[in-house]
Amino acid sequence: MTAASSPIFAKPRNRNERNAMKSLELHRIEKSYGAYHALRGIDLSVEEGEFIVMVGPSGCGKSTLLKTIAGLETISSGQILISGRDVTKEEPGDRGIAMVFQSYALYPHMTVAENMGFGLRMAKRPKEEIDAAVARAAKILRITDQLDKRPKQLSGGQRQRVAIGRAITRSPDVFLFDEPLSNLDAALRTQMRVELSSLHAELGATMIYVTHDQVEAMTMASRIVVLNRGAVEQVGSPLELYRNPGNLFVAGFLGAPRMNFFDVTVDEVSGAKAGISAPGLAPLNVSLAEGAALNPGDRATLGIRPENIRLAAGDAARAAISGKVRLVEHLGRETILYVDAGALQCVSSESGTGNITVQVGQVTPISAESPVSLSIDPHDAYLFAGDGQRTVTARKASHSNQTKVDTI
Amino acid sequence: MTSLWRRHRWWLTPTLLILPGAVLFAVVILASSVQSLWISLHDWDGFGPMVWIGLGNYRELMDDPQFYVSLKNNVIWLVMFMLAPPIGLAIALLVNQKIKGMRLVKSMFFIPLVLASVAVGVVFTWVYTPEFGLLALIFRAFGANAPALLSDEHFVTFAIVVAALWSQIAFCMVLYLAGLNNLSEELIGAGRVDGARGWNMLRHIVLPQLTQVTFIAIAVTVVGALRSFDMISVMTRGGPFGSSSVLAYQMFEQSIFSYRFGYGAAIASVLFVIMAVFITWYLTRIIRAEERGA
Repeated sequence: MTAASSPIFAKPRNRNERNAMKSLELHRIEKSYGAYHALRGIDLSVEEGEFIVMVGPSGCGKSTLLKTIAGLETISSGQILISGRDVTKEEPGDRGIAMVFQSYALYPHMTVAENMGFGLRMAKRPKEEIDAAVARAAKILRITDQLDKRPKQLSGGQRQRVAIGRAITRSPDVFLFDEPLSNLDAALRTQMRVELSSLHAELGATMIYVTHDQVEAMTMASRIVVLNRGAVEQVGSPLELYRNPGNLFVAGFLGAPRMNFFDVTVDEVSGAKAGISAPGLAPLNVSLAEGAALNPGDRATLGIRPENIRLAAGDAARAAISGKVRLVEHLGRETILYVDAGALQCVSSESGTGNITVQVGQVTPISAESPVSLSIDPHDAYLFAGDGQRTVTARKASHSNQTKVDTI
Repeated sequence: MTSLWRRHRWWLTPTLLILPGAVLFAVVILASSVQSLWISLHDWDGFGPMVWIGLGNYRELMDDPQFYVSLKNNVIWLVMFMLAPPIGLAIALLVNQKIKGMRLVKSMFFIPLVLASVAVGVVFTWVYTPEFGLLALIFRAFGANAPALLSDEHFVTFAIVVAALWSQIAFCMVLYLAGLNNLSEELIGAGRVDGARGWNMLRHIVLPQLTQVTFIAIAVTVVGALRSFDMISVMTRGGPFGSSSVLAYQMFEQSIFSYRFGYGAAIASVLFVIMAVFITWYLTRIIRAEERGA
């Protein structure tokens, strides 16, 4: 790795000084196309060696944000620092970044080796240095025997490797990935996901990764940045975001199948507890976060993950919800039930029908149209204030009772 | 009936679809080419009986000084026309910039494409007119006298080619503009991230993506240069003393004005061979290049 850290870019860098700096800092990044605000004041600070995954629905601005970091898009206002250096006005080639594109964007008329060495060639590095850097990257990615081929002769996975190799060769301060796995088939995607994670561990480089795939986000990230409508909804480690979503959007975005949401009314607030109810739902007492500022009579949204709803065998009296199974999906390791609970309709549900999604264990002898009773542990419930902008239930401990739930 | 159709449609459908084109090609291109070759072996005034003279027309052509003047002029056309693709590319790159008012500039470069080449010829004849033409005015502004380009046997071909180039450049520009619109944005982005800019960006990232367009631009330009005819007809009628004639015009002149259809057909056949040789060579080169890479 010592060779890899040789300064490719002619700017001298003091290693000690650099270690004290953030790899990447974004200050109030704004981007607008006419009246449309693509990015609304984004702040982010990335430590060296972090694997940041930016995730969000289509049109949330994640790719635009990545392109502004790369310098391929200009920003309307704000500041971008890479390794402590203000690069806001600099050309992409001078920023110390490398980027892997969704379509790989390999130069079709160049061989694999020429593709990978092109950046160094443009930086006018001596040929021996280029060859060495290409050989080293090729070895890491196990494409040494492909170096003389052209991109057209390679499979999707190999092209992906070449694109990553082209990034490695430049030994950038920050790697940028723009949905790099979305063009691969499912099996290859899983494989490349694992390889990218181990590559990150091997290089110890800072990586910013954009995806709409929450599995990629959950599995690869050291921290996830959830974006929505050009703004950061929440930043945190995957499990932190999963356990303690800061608002309705994050709660709904992370987790598959999606969290169930119900419109509820706050009946009473006493100390750190709130009693809530809805038609078709037995009254529930949830713990409130400090300063939750909830009043009786308020509207709120109750959120429960499908895996946290359990079948209450036969005991209809103790059940929180009773309804009828509309559809059963057997996935082998687990079974997904879609339950019609009559008056209790799920808002923005997984199936779009208002049915409640329930995820239960492997062998659940249950068939469509059979009546079921569902129970909910109040500790698993999330409550979101009326506007959905904040979570008002107490934070979940990082070590949770997740395992208990699975053993039905 | 239906079963017959069903059994044979795998070859009937493509055949029927290609038939109109094939018939048209056979009648307009193949048959007339063969007929031209046939006529070129005769002495024929276009009305009377055809007299077989074998290779007589070709033998006469070899000794005709006008043939060599026309051939030389065709070479001048060809060489000068080769400027059209690079200049067209340069202008396309220029007007493709996102600068305010570029749309107006772009549409001005389109103008020669809209004009009939006969109109372009007439306009340039006026430009070249010694006493009151635009060229004369420019020369006079510098206190010089404009040469009478169209009556000077050394300059006349160049003057006509410049006029023809005007619209050929516009044509190449349009081709390249279309090509520039189809550039892969991600490839450009990858190039920028790799630090390519200016000349390097053009040479390593943009031009390789324009190979197909360049191929078409060059082929069309070469064919355009070899079959050039209308401008000459409008501007000089091959004059003075046949010094601006080219093979295509000489063929036309011999057939129509001198009633020598056999001789004209012989010139046409020679032109045909020249074009066929070029096209074959060019195509094989392109195909080979495509097999090698990209």
